[in-house]
Amino acid sequence: MKYPDSRGHFGEYGGRYISETLMPAILELEEFYKKIKNNKEFKDELRSYLKNYAGRPTPLYYASRLSKLYSSNIYLKREDLNHTGSHKLNNTLGQALLAVKMGKKRIIAETGAGQHGVATATVCALFDIECEVFMGIKDIERQKQNVLRMEVLGAKVTPVSAGSSTLKDAMNEAIRDWITNVRTTYYMIGTAAGMHPYPEIVRDFQSVIGKEVLKELKQIDKFPDILIACIGGGSNAIGLFHPFLKYKEVKMYGVEAGGFGLGTGKHAASISGGKPGVLHGNKTYLLQDEDGRIKEAHSIAAGLDYPGVGPEHSFYADKKRIIYDTITDKEAIEAFKLLCRLEGIIPAIESSHAVAYLDKIKNEIKGKTVIVNLSGRGDKDMETIAGYISENKITK
Amino acid sequence: MANNINKIDELFANYKKAGKTAFIPFISIGDPDIETSFDIAKALISNGADMIELGYPFSDPMADGKVIQKSYERALKNRVTMADAFNFVARLREISEIPVIFFTYYNPIFAYRTSEFADSASAAGIDGVLVVDLPPEESFELKQFIDKKNIDQIFLLAPTSDVSRIKLITSYAKGFVYYVSVTGVTGARRSLPAEMRSKVEEIKNIKDIPVGIGFGISSPEQAEEIKNYADAIIIGSKIIQFIENNLNDKKNIIKSISEFSCGIKSSLM
Ligand SMILES: Cc1ncc(COP(=O)(O)O)c(C=O)c1O
Repeated sequence: MKYPDSRGHFGEYGGRYISETLMPAILELEEFYKKIKNNKEFKDELRSYLKNYAGRPTPLYYASRLSKLYSSNIYLKREDLNHTGSHKLNNTLGQALLAVKMGKKRIIAETGAGQHGVATATVCALFDIECEVFMGIKDIERQKQNVLRMEVLGAKVTPVSAGSSTLKDAMNEAIRDWITNVRTTYYMIGTAAGMHPYPEIVRDFQSVIGKEVLKELKQIDKFPDILIACIGGGSNAIGLFHPFLKYKEVKMYGVEAGGFGLGTGKHAASISGGKPGVLHGNKTYLLQDEDGRIKEAHSIAAGLDYPGVGPEHSFYADKKRIIYDTITDKEAIEAFKLLCRLEGIIPAIESSHAVAYLDKIKNEIKGKTVIVNLSGRGDKDMETIAGYISENKITK
Repeated sequence: MANNINKIDELFANYKKAGKTAFIPFISIGDPDIETSFDIAKALISNGADMIELGYPFSDPMADGKVIQKSYERALKNRVTMADAFNFVARLREISEIPVIFFTYYNPIFAYRTSEFADSASAAGIDGVLVVDLPPEESFELKQFIDKKNIDQIFLLAPTSDVSRIKLITSYAKGFVYYVSVTGVTGARRSLPAEMRSKVEEIKNIKDIPVGIGFGISSPEQAEEIKNYADAIIIGSKIIQFIENNLNDKKNIIKSISEFSCGIKSSLM
């Protein structure tokens, strides 16, 4: 059985829980994508942009000092070296090509860390499309650099002050804009979540990560035992995991943001600390209260600060095919420092959650081949790191 | 119970015979507080409302504009629960037989458990349920339970709906079809699209079903025009603005909403 099914469901998750105004646009996108996804010309064009513009394939780097520390073979998939500094561009290049072919003149997006916003602004400049990015004011504050990057790329950044002023509220506002301008506007969702067909489209475009890893390992005659990726909405994770799902022996860990710790209620771990519900067009695990109101998420990583998760992850969580666990802010910061010092790589705080998980399963990884998805670089996070270090009086 | 005629269907059948257009005001349960919202509902009922649409506040109202967003935020501060909402409707039932439409997003219903929601909604006296983010494609999970309770599931149609969507939705629709007048979120608007009339006619040509028009309607003049071709008008944001503008003056909230309601009602006569 292939997922999603014809109605856009992953088992009981996923679907199209949206207002009727958007249904025609969603159906149009689904039809269009179905037609084009296996079209050779489209695939060649995307491949060419990924290679010559984004700089793919990204390296699969053997982290020797890290490997030595944990007595295992640890490879980092270097999405931080992708153009714009994260995996997000894989998706926006694909979706922008779709939007161009659909004849759309305007693209809107939501962003948390600003990485998806920057990746969107980038492709809009590349393809000469009007671009508006919705961003919570709390995120604008903690990711100032990315706001500037979007602006120099020609995008309009619209601050969102409703609710918790973070990613979920930016997404609400993007959806409202889409409802209003649906006839001319393409909505570029930045993660493998939202209404069908987005979880499928984003997964497909991000699967380039896992496909490359397969090839890169083959060249050195290796096969992984364990895959690790952080989970915001779940796009870098599903991009790495999806091509490996058919290999039953490969174990996969999705690392959610544990914030101050699951017990404190201040976290962004929708699967580990939430329950199924419906938000932003799909049924999936959500942080919510007993009355079904969505709770604010908390994570030091703006890109993980979202109270939901892509439906495909909810599906594999229930099936126990992928294991979901959490890493706290504090553990992520420790891993951030570790990778800087051991490997000379400054990771995004989001990606640091995946790195931190090595320590949590250090007994299990001994002697094993492990792939960690280094979803992005940490340049954008220097202020946050400096703030955390001085607030908590820890060493650099 | 299940064999009783639904109050919404009954009202539209009578109004069709009489050639009348129904006035359906929308308010949020708990805005500015539960007791005042109850008094507003009573005032609307005694000043011309033919049905009433009650919004159950949600944290992430993606199809709503600023006015209703803020209304939900005020109501959420009062910690309105589903039990409060059912109690609200049950109390209304003690004083009025007016058809009640319950309006919300799906997550609160799902969190309550959809089957239990249907039982409690029926017991409280709810006649119709409109869930903004439940298009026909996802509607079965609610329909299977509320059908048995003879509660109408109301669906939306929009300016973007083409013939195939209109056919699909009118085949699912019960009670009436709620035509969203604008491509956009809720909110009062001075002018409304000219295509509204032809769209309503298009729907009625496809199926003989009552059509209500909502989103954006704000004045008696608009109501007077729309009554020529629609079976109901729904007004939300404009009414809620009276609450927003008089937050410290409950008397004035009731007074201004009553006057507005009378004005709309007389424009529909
Ligand atoms: C570097 C980086 N990694 C991970 C994420 C989380 O998103 P996702 O779970 O979709 O990969 C983000 C989101 O902004 C990000 O910027």
